[in-house]
Amino acid sequence: MDRGMVLFVGALLTFTSSWLGLVLFPFWQLQNQPPYRSEPTDDPYPRPLQGLAWVGMKVYQQSGCMYCHSQQIRSDRFGNWWEEPIGMMRTGGDIKRGWGLRRTVPRDYIYDYPTMLGTMRTGPDLSNVGSRYSALWQHIHTYNPRAFNNWSIMPSFAYLYRKEKIVGSRSEKALPLGREWTVHPGYRWRPSEAEWELILREQGTYILTSYLAETPQPDNLNLATLQGKRQLLEYWLATPEEDWQLVPTPQAEALVAYLLTLRKAEYPLPEAKE
Amino acid sequence: MAVNVLTRDDHRLQAARHRASIDLSCRGPVLAFCTTALFWLLVGSALALIASIKLHSPYFLTGSSVLTFGRVRMAHLQAVALGWSSLAAMAACLWLMCRLSRVELTYPRMLYVACALWNIATTLAVGGILLGDGTSVEWLDAPVYAQPFFVAGVGLVAGWVAATFRRRQESHVYVTQWYILAAVFWFPWLYTVATLMIFWTPVTGVVQPVINWWFNHNFLGLWLTPIGVGTAYYLIPKILGRPIHSYYLSITGFWALALFYSWAGMHHLIGGPIPAWLATASTVGSMMMFIPVIAVAINHHMTMIGYFHRLKYSPSLRFTVFGAIAYTAVSFQGSIESLKDFSEVTHFTHYTVGHAHLGAYGFVAMIFFGLYYYMIPRLTGREWASSRLIRLHFWCSAIGITLYFTTLSIAGWWQGRMLNNPNVPFANIIAYIQPYLALRSIAGILMTIGHIAFAILFIVNIAGWGRLRTAGPTLFVEPVQQHTPEVATSVPYLRPQSVHLHQ
Repeated sequence: MDRGMVLFVGALLTFTSSWLGLVLFPFWQLQNQPPYRSEPTDDPYPRPLQGLAWVGMKVYQQSGCMYCHSQQIRSDRFGNWWEEPIGMMRTGGDIKRGWGLRRTVPRDYIYDYPTMLGTMRTGPDLSNVGSRYSALWQHIHTYNPRAFNNWSIMPSFAYLYRKEKIVGSRSEKALPLGREWTVHPGYRWRPSEAEWELILREQGTYILTSYLAETPQPDNLNLATLQGKRQLLEYWLATPEEDWQLVPTPQAEALVAYLLTLRKAEYPLPEAKE
Repeated sequence: MAVNVLTRDDHRLQAARHRASIDLSCRGPVLAFCTTALFWLLVGSALALIASIKLHSPYFLTGSSVLTFGRVRMAHLQAVALGWSSLAAMAACLWLMCRLSRVELTYPRMLYVACALWNIATTLAVGGILLGDGTSVEWLDAPVYAQPFFVAGVGLVAGWVAATFRRRQESHVYVTQWYILAAVFWFPWLYTVATLMIFWTPVTGVVQPVINWWFNHNFLGLWLTPIGVGTAYYLIPKILGRPIHSYYLSITGFWALALFYSWAGMHHLIGGPIPAWLATASTVGSMMMFIPVIAVAINHHMTMIGYFHRLKYSPSLRFTVFGAIAYTAVSFQGSIESLKDFSEVTHFTHYTVGHAHLGAYGFVAMIFFGLYYYMIPRLTGREWASSRLIRLHFWCSAIGITLYFTTLSIAGWWQGRMLNNPNVPFANIIAYIQPYLALRSIAGILMTIGHIAFAILFIVNIAGWGRLRTAGPTLFVEPVQQHTPEVATSVPYLRPQSVHLHQ
């Protein structure tokens, strides 16, 4: 046989073997899983994403969230840790960290497209994040994660929020954040000593009045001292900007709606019991 | 006696003329692939740096959707894997196929079209991802509209390679040709099947990641690895001027790779919501990979033995041998990484990222750098302008990838250990890995400096500003004359290209 032919047939056969084994066979094994009902009258689980949550999934997808956040819970026998004197332990870290109540199984993903299992845990797993946090928490955290966790290295998604001048009264959707976080969206702002002096000269009395009005037991704050000025600055930074508000764009609303639907690891499925 | 010597020289001269005419015919198309590949290397390096810095300094370039971490990371992967590595791989296919088949390059226009299609695809991929069309399917992040261009581009190259092989004037089929033919046959199939089953007629749920990882692992294993190993199989004996150690070992290595590598991808889903037998099958495949890797390692090492001093002189050889050693290292590491106990720690950590870069950069990119340093002067007729810049490139790349790999391996290992221990708060893990991520950025800066030196050399060469190739190659240092003076001085670069390969 011609060498070219040997090569062709050989390359074809070796590759076909893996194609059959790793692609077609799992395809055949997992392709037609129905949603689960414990009683015939129950709502089926899982359900396809709909409406806003589906749009939010697209935001999640095109922002590459899954490159830091996985969506899979491994079993409580997965994950090893050894330490003296106990030796090797199986920790089941995913479940013990509170990321999910049980391991995830293929059926949890039958409506996912794309299925973003994730490859990396620079951030925590999100399979079940919908049960952990409120919409407001998600909004503030998406806007700037360091508003909650100063150690966080997650990017700020401030570009999903719009800073606008307040016309009339503040919007209900506006993020309740201090000016520290809103003056430069995406960053943490703090005036320099000189700037703070300038601000104090212009609005000092106003800020002090509102401080005294809002603090239940105002201590003796002396604006002549450096310490007093710093104390007032901390208060002022935590108050919202008077004329500006930050509102979520539709994309941000959608993303948070999607995050709230992520409850993959709690509905009891028979095959996930072990 | 005298007559014999004359005829041998005659034969050699004739062979050299033939090679020169082959190189001349390759010039346009191969340089088109090489130039655009280098462009994507620079784009990819810039994206890599942005992503890397963002990971330890989250306020860097924040506030723009285009440069958010997730998008930049996807774009980086497309720019370096599909842009740089694949274009350089195709350039290698074209030139090596012509040389080893001993035919001049035909249908250049077809290749220009292929190059244009592939570059359109990469532009659509990188641009589309940055503007918000990324698919978050790792390695296949390119938007759906870029995919047909990739398939058409590589399809043309595959057809051309097959046609050139059929026209071959040399009856002996060298192992490099085996690797190239197999790679251009596997890759279009792989890419088409994966995109069809994930995007065009999507399969259900977890079957997508299964196909995804089958693709990802085979992208390295059945596309970049064969061409990289094939290139090393050509360059090392060629530069040393001696035959490869064992023909049979090289064929064994080839078939073992074909059989086992394609089974190795599923350990990336270890512990995940897939049938356990899939990960086990891949662990077996990964362990069997010791066979082809050891075969290649022995073959390259035995060829190099007694000639390691040449690393002092030859830039191409130094890059290529670095790549070949990295291939052995990264493959051994990969096999061990697939073991369950090991993987339970390193899965989902930066350890995997370090491993991937040792493969894609330490092995693949370094060998292609070696190829450039060897091939480009033969195509342009110009020598490299500065051995100092080559040295800068080598050391920046070599130290850069070593530092990169070391920092991420340490950080990833402990990240994985701590992730497995639920008593360690997440904040502590982040605090622990952050300095390592900063060191990784320094490694990235080093590598980028190397790439800029490389690009300067390349541009000077292409523009025709370098010296002509009449006085022999640009070496790090002039070789010490060990044997007879005539060998080292009169034919310094004709000699290494002697007839061994073509017997």
